[in-house]
Amino acid sequence: MIANLIANMIAQILQTVFQVALVLLLSPLVTGLNRTLKARVQTRRGPSLLQPYRDLYKLLGKGMVIPNTASWIFTATPFVLFTTVLLASLLIPTISAQAPLSLYGGVLAMVYLLALGRFFLALGGLDTGSSFGGLGSSREMTISAIAEPALMLAVFAVAIGAGSTNLSLVAQAGLGQSWRFLAPSQMLAFAALFIVLIAETGRIPVDNPATHLELTMIHEAMILEYSGPYLALIEWAAAIKQLVLMTLLVNVFFPFGLSASWTPLALTASLGWFLFKLLLLSLIVAAVEVTNAKMRLFRVPELLAIAFVLSALALVSTFLFQG
Amino acid sequence: MHFWQDPQFGNRMITLMAALLLVLQIMMVTQRWLITSIRAFALQSFLLACIATTIAYYNNAPHIYAAAALMLVVKVILLPVHFERLARHIEIHQEIEPLVNAPISVITAGLLTLMAYVVAESFHRPDEPLGPASLGHNTLAVAIAIFLIGFFMMLNRRKALSQVLALLSLENGIFLAAISLTYGMPMIVEVGIFFDVLVGGVVLAILVHQIRDTFDSMDVSRLTRLKG
Repeated sequence: MIANLIANMIAQILQTVFQVALVLLLSPLVTGLNRTLKARVQTRRGPSLLQPYRDLYKLLGKGMVIPNTASWIFTATPFVLFTTVLLASLLIPTISAQAPLSLYGGVLAMVYLLALGRFFLALGGLDTGSSFGGLGSSREMTISAIAEPALMLAVFAVAIGAGSTNLSLVAQAGLGQSWRFLAPSQMLAFAALFIVLIAETGRIPVDNPATHLELTMIHEAMILEYSGPYLALIEWAAAIKQLVLMTLLVNVFFPFGLSASWTPLALTASLGWFLFKLLLLSLIVAAVEVTNAKMRLFRVPELLAIAFVLSALALVSTFLFQG
Repeated sequence: MHFWQDPQFGNRMITLMAALLLVLQIMMVTQRWLITSIRAFALQSFLLACIATTIAYYNNAPHIYAAAALMLVVKVILLPVHFERLARHIEIHQEIEPLVNAPISVITAGLLTLMAYVVAESFHRPDEPLGPASLGHNTLAVAIAIFLIGFFMMLNRRKALSQVLALLSLENGIFLAAISLTYGMPMIVEVGIFFDVLVGGVVLAILVHQIRDTFDSMDVSRLTRLKG
């Protein structure tokens, strides 16, 4: 009895450690993949796939400059941000239909963990009193204030279909029913979440992660004062957040290949599926980035309003079509 | 059995396309570019033709194939091409100038959708077994919603050409209801309706042209003034 309990606990801990390691190691690769794909579509060669790892390594080894005006919030922000996104990543079924921490929270916990990280990031931007930090924080908050309701509505539309807000149960419901992903509520919610993904990860129609242009930058403006290991933590957290949102899209809406158990063979197969789906999604994101121009900042709420309307329609259509 | 012969799959596809019809209808409500509206209407009609084809495929019903083909010819090709040419000719590309602004229009469209849901709810039979014959029965709410939103769009627009588009999209809602509930009306009625729509569309287009020539504007609110 006790031996069983201990074995269970060890298995649980192993699963958590495995997923943490996977998320930590995979997220810079996804960032690199996005950059490379985008460069290739534009017929450039682009940096190596491993460049984000090198950047992180370089930043972690550097010294730091902390502004005199900074308070404890400035130092706390990178750690809070990193921890919250990492915790959020453990609530999502990544390579197994059973997420390691799924007992402790569902999609609400995930969304609000991300929101907590974003809150601290905005505070960190404001904390030093630099005008760019304040500008970035205000823009980030404007965008997230509209992106978050769209995200929540879209997720609820999916949760109603599955009868639970626990993402593991949602993914399992998707696995159990054939052609479930074709249901209009799923497709519309997917489209809405895709727009939210673009907005939240600072992709091109909304923000351009590759420039530091004063007029348009959002994410980069907030973290302008950060340097060295803190900057590395924030960049890494941003990569993990991107992976979290992409995983949410590919595994909750298209849960093919998710293994039901934690055996090595099943895990390898589902890891392969997972990488394949991530690659497909990255291709779509790259296509969107290359074919669109950056929007004027005041047009961004319109784009997010479309996401909101789509997710509202997704919610309505679960009732319109009786499931 | 291939997966596409499974009525479950057909049901999913029809439901999905019906949802896209509604999305396009709401897009047309907010759209201010005339050409984009015309293309959205063409796409909506194309999806409707696809729904009809799907229902025809699962029920082996040749007359629905014919209805889908008519739909394709009249509403996807002839009328949109004609309207686009007209829109280019009278040089009105944008600014449809709705009476109610875009956010309120979207909210109104949402409320109309809810109303359609309430109306269609009483016709819903959850115990009906899923088979070829019951395909598309769950799209009644969408059909009513498209009808109501089309009606709202007609009231909301000032330009005669966009009112014609609204009328035609309203007619799409009626077609969806007919095709999904009764497998289409008898062939002769179907042909009659399409001929009606085509002639109506052409007549309205000519009328639009005349209105513009006489009043130097397509704004129908100016038609209250007599001009000799």
